[in-house]
Formats: sequence, C-alpha cells, structure tokens
Amino acid sequence: MAAVQLAKKAVTVPPTVRTLASGVPVAPLIDLKVRAPAGHGHEHGHGHAPRSDLPARWATKVSRSSSLGLYNKSYTAAPVTGVFQKSLMHTSAVARDAPQVPDFSKYQAKDESRNRGLAYFMIGSLGLLSASVAKSTVTEFLATMSASADVLAMARVEVDLAAIPEGKNVIIKWRGKPVFIRHRTQDEIEEARNTDWKSLRDPESDEQRTKKPEWLVMLGVCTHLGCVPIGEAGDYGGWFCPCHGSHYDISGRIRKGPAPLNLEVPQYDINEADGKLVIG
Amino acid sequence: MSLANTVYNAIVKRNSVFVPTIFVGAFAFSIGFDVGITKFWDTWNKGKQWKDIRDKYVEQA
Repeated sequence: MAAVQLAKKAVTVPPTVRTLASGVPVAPLIDLKVRAPAGHGHEHGHGHAPRSDLPARWATKVSRSSSLGLYNKSYTAAPVTGVFQKSLMHTSAVARDAPQVPDFSKYQAKDESRNRGLAYFMIGSLGLLSASVAKSTVTEFLATMSASADVLAMARVEVDLAAIPEGKNVIIKWRGKPVFIRHRTQDEIEEARNTDWKSLRDPESDEQRTKKPEWLVMLGVCTHLGCVPIGEAGDYGGWFCPCHGSHYDISGRIRKGPAPLNLEVPQYDINEADGKLVIG
Repeated sequence: MSLANTVYNAIVKRNSVFVPTIFVGAFAFSIGFDVGITKFWDTWNKGKQWKDIRDKYVEQA
C-alpha cells in the first residue's frame, strides 16, 4: 500500500553566482525585477515606500513546530527552473557601498527661517559673551594698576584741630612724610602777612600758602636735601633745618640757607563744622 | 511673518546693526550679571558682612 509520504523540508536556495571564463559574473537565478530597496535618503518628506522585493504580507506566515521551533514559510514566485535566458550583460542590482544608510529626514530643518534665526541667535550670543569677557578682562587688568583700598585709606589723614592750642606745632605722619600743622597766633599771622614776600627767594604770599590764616599746614621736608626741619627755631621764628642750616619763616618760606624753595603745602581741607583738618 | 524672520530683518540683516547690538547687549549683560551675582552673594552671606552687622557696633547719626 502506497502511502503518500508528506515530507516537509525547508530549503534555502541562494542565487547561484559564478564567473565565466571571460570574467563576466553570471547569476542565472536572480530575479531581475527586483529594485533596490527604497528608503535610502531619496524620498525626504514622503515617508517610506514599501519594499518591492519583499514578499507580500499575506504570502508569509510564521508557524511553530516541535522540531524546528519558530519558522517562517513564504510562498513566493520561485524562479522557473528549466527555460531561462542567460543574460550576458551585467544588469544585476548595484551593490551599494553602504546599503544600511539611515534615514536622516527627521533631522532636516522643518522651517528655513527659524533655522537661520537660531543660527544667528547663537552667533550673536557667543559674540555677546566674548565681548563682555574681553571687556572685563581689560578692566580687571587695569584695576590691578590702581591704588588698593589700604593705600587709599592711608592716603588721607584726619586731625582734630580743637586739640591744638594756639601757638603750638603738631607733627603728624602722612603718606610716610611728616606734616607740620601750626596754630598761629595773631602776631605770627601779621608778621607772615606783612613780610615783603616779592623780594624773597621763592616769592609766595602768605594768603597763597594758607586757607585759613591761623592754620599753617605744610610738608615737613626741607626742600634742600629732605631733612626734617625743627620747629620754633631759626632766625625768622619759624623752622630751622639742622642738616645744612636753612631758615624758614613763620609761613614756611625759605629765608636763609641752601634750600631753593618754600616748604611744600599739601592738599588739605578744613571742615569748620567738625573742627577737623583732612589732609589728602 | 514669523518671529524669527522679524528678528532677522531687524537686527541681523545689516552688520552695522548686528555688531552694535552685540556690544550694547554685552554692556547690559555685564551690568545685569554683576548685579545678579552681587545680590546672590549678599543673600548667601546674609548676616556675615560688615554692612549687615554695622548697626551693632556703630551708633551715631
């Protein structure tokens, strides 16, 4: 009894490729109707076209079997064996260099003008930041050259004038140099003002040298070689430099000796309300 | 016309407008940055700076 034996066998038939003696490749079983798979970056904006080389969905089915596990059976139009024409021309589908090129259309700009606006915004922002960095670099560098806060604080000295009685000298230190402050008596003021100052070596009137006649403020540095003169001494009742014998009068003007100039008067302000003298 | 186009035509189109805009923006930015950082510093160090505790030690008009 002949029983029909149904045998199911999965066979994969690759296209046979061989090379003729002339060097022409021959692939006799290739389906030349197959096109290159669509979707390689040439259809921006209109999605994927269905692949023409895949079997239709209805022709394929996935089944399970105890021996094979999960397997897939496709019913395709198998190439006819038997009569086929040898194509001597090489017309098979072009093998691409990179057949798996992804689809970049998603990353393409949707709006030209927004894209341009964003690009220029980024350029402008970078320029803005660089300009402000450059500006603060320069200003911070220049700021290192200016006087620091402790120097500025030391550059001003406040003196309480009420503590200096009439006819007394006070010597204070200002910017590393002594400053003479004399509370002059009325006699001394008159003596200083009545001098014929135009004939002196360094002609300067007492009005030019003082802001208020009773307060004489000047640097205690001899204009000759920088010694500190002694107060209430000398031939003119003012200051006397012990180093080389310069005599200054009661307005600090050079009268006798080697010094060329009068004692220097620093910048100062007299605050009448508080009775304070601010030097510097 | 979209905002991007408006901005582009107003500012970017001429370099003689774009560059001064950047400089003015940098000026405003540095002031704003300075103020912001100073404010942040003051809040962060609240109660520790001399200007915060000055009242405790100096009493005069």
